[in-house]
Amino acid sequence: MQIDAAVQEHGAEAAETAAEGFNAGEVIIEHVANSPIDHPLIHLPTIAGIDFSVTKHVFMLWVVSAIIFVIVTAAVRRYVRQERLVPTGFMNALETLVEFIRDTVVRPSVGDKWVGTWTPLLLTLFLFIMVANAIGMIPIFEVLGLLNHWVFHFGEETFFAKLLHGGSTVTSNFNVTAALAIVSFFTIIVAGSKAHGAIGHWKNLVPHGVSPALAIALIPIEILGMLVRPFALTMRLAANMTGGHIAILAILSFVFIFTEMAGQAVGMGIGLAFSVPLAVGISALEIIVVLVQAYVFTLLTAVFIGMAIHAHH
Amino acid sequence: MDNPLVQPDPGLFIWTILTFLVLVGLLAKFAWRPLLQALDARQQTIAASLEEAQRARQELERIQRESAQMMAQARIEAESVIARSRSDAEALREELKQKARAEAASIVKNAEKQIQTETARAVQQIRSEAVDLSVAIASKILRRQMSKEDNQALIEETLKQVESQPRV
Repeated sequence: MQIDAAVQEHGAEAAETAAEGFNAGEVIIEHVANSPIDHPLIHLPTIAGIDFSVTKHVFMLWVVSAIIFVIVTAAVRRYVRQERLVPTGFMNALETLVEFIRDTVVRPSVGDKWVGTWTPLLLTLFLFIMVANAIGMIPIFEVLGLLNHWVFHFGEETFFAKLLHGGSTVTSNFNVTAALAIVSFFTIIVAGSKAHGAIGHWKNLVPHGVSPALAIALIPIEILGMLVRPFALTMRLAANMTGGHIAILAILSFVFIFTEMAGQAVGMGIGLAFSVPLAVGISALEIIVVLVQAYVFTLLTAVFIGMAIHAHH
Repeated sequence: MDNPLVQPDPGLFIWTILTFLVLVGLLAKFAWRPLLQALDARQQTIAASLEEAQRARQELERIQRESAQMMAQARIEAESVIARSRSDAEALREELKQKARAEAASIVKNAEKQIQTETARAVQQIRSEAVDLSVAIASKILRRQMSKEDNQALIEETLKQVESQPRV
């Protein structure tokens, strides 16, 4: 209810500012945030107070998953079906990635015994975050929006037009990163329980051989530490992915701000001399961030799994 | 809470978990397990091939060493065969030479002996012919002058004379 009111207010504000002119904040939010939950792509029922409607970010989750599944599975099936296991083309890249994750991320953290158990999950985690990050760097929906504006002219209530609202980077939504962090959180617990038994894992939270008094004092600290990890994972990824996009959008907004202030010529000049080169630079930086954040999330999850498995301090 | 960037969205949260877990399951079954197995298999294949190659190289080296040894041995043998045959030929030639020389010597000796024999026989023949001839001549000349007794005495004297002469 509160949210509804907020969104209505928001909408009214947007209408107001639209009349006034260009509002950089609105535009940036529109390009980064999820599409509004009360205007979903597909309406689904609310179960136990949770609205399961498919918003832009839910849809993008599926797009990302489908891309990964189709490309990876097709490559692997073609590769495995060969008589001689000689990788070609895309398979070389995939194999390099798989060996990189397995041999430099998973194996050093969890050890030889568990590498087979946790490599699939961590590989998927890495690929999922990386592709989700990377898709945000490709202005698919901006291009589709232009096409709609000039060519298609779909109505506002069509599925296609609804797709154009909201950002496409799911990993900039902290609900998504929180979900991934929760998966990582439970994975750590499962890994510890598999290695030491359900009770053994929880006993490992407190270092062995400390006095009982100290152990009792340590319990809340260790529990806090356990909970902080997924929180840190959530915020790091979401904030990094949001930050880059906001920076690029803010810099590009100068074009329109200066157009309003001093006319089209100045706006274009600012765009060519300042906004576009800087946005290109930040985009290049973002490509690194895309890879690094996927790597960091995966590496930290692997390290935490390893800490749960090798819990002897 | 009106900032859409920090709006809690439990639906999206649960969708993310579901989507991600389904993706993990599907990829694990259809991509990661086959791929990781294939990588392991290929690793083993490469290791086995390298080992095989090394074994083959060692085998080749051994064979080369052996063949070199055999070649050297064959060369030594050939040399000794040549040397032996050369000395054999030398010996044979020497033997043949000696044989020829001996044969020649024996031929010469035979010829000499034959010549001697022939000479002796010729001398004998000449002698007897000469006696007969001289007797015949003498008898022709002396037929009427000499009696039979004189004649006999003369022959004996002549014979004595001839026999007392040294032989040629």
